Amino acid sequence: MQKKVPKVLAAMLGVAMVVSGAAPARAQVKQTEAGMPKLGDMAPDFNMKYFDGSELKDVSLSQYRGKKNVVVAFFIFAFTGG
Amino acid sequence: MKAIQQDLKRLEATDTQVLGVSMDSPFANKAFADQIGVTYPLLSDWGGDVTRKYGLYVEKYKAARRVNFLIGKDGKILEEQVDKDAIDPTRIVDTCERPKLKN
Repeated sequence: MQKKVPKVLAAMLGVAMVVSGAAPARAQVKQTEAGMPKLGDMAPDFNMKYFDGSELKDVSLSQYRGKKNVVVAFFIFAFTGG
Repeated sequence: MKAIQQDLKRLEATDTQVLGVSMDSPFANKAFADQIGVTYPLLSDWGGDVTRKYGLYVEKYKAARRVNFLIGKDGKILEEQVDKDAIDPTRIVDTCERPKLKN
């Protein structure tokens, strides 16, 4: 049996090799560790647990997107002040 | 955290969820919540990853600063109260009760 690589297939292979050299991704640092997010910035998403008295429950910020405003109140230590 | 508890009904009436966060364990935070009468969740940022992500980690105390954020339904930050200003949440409650946020 005679095998012939179709010209179309050969051309496609050639194109694929050229395209694979993609443009380098630009390094983006939106949030530095030193700075707080500012008014109007997207709040960084998080996922944390709390204990409701019987089990640990997960809470993420994104679960409220489009549904509720969220007050996130960071405090320093439990049992200090109120 | 008690001051926010006192305003909790007003905040909830404006479609606002309140979450406390500290680097304590979830169990310590639950005991703290019970002691001071807080009914909203006090989340545990054990290890401090979220505290660092928000730029609030204080190396000297190995803990977070006292900061309140109000985040809108679109995920954007609408208000911030930092350090001593964070003790009284009135400004955040007022912002929540502005008509444009009530939708």
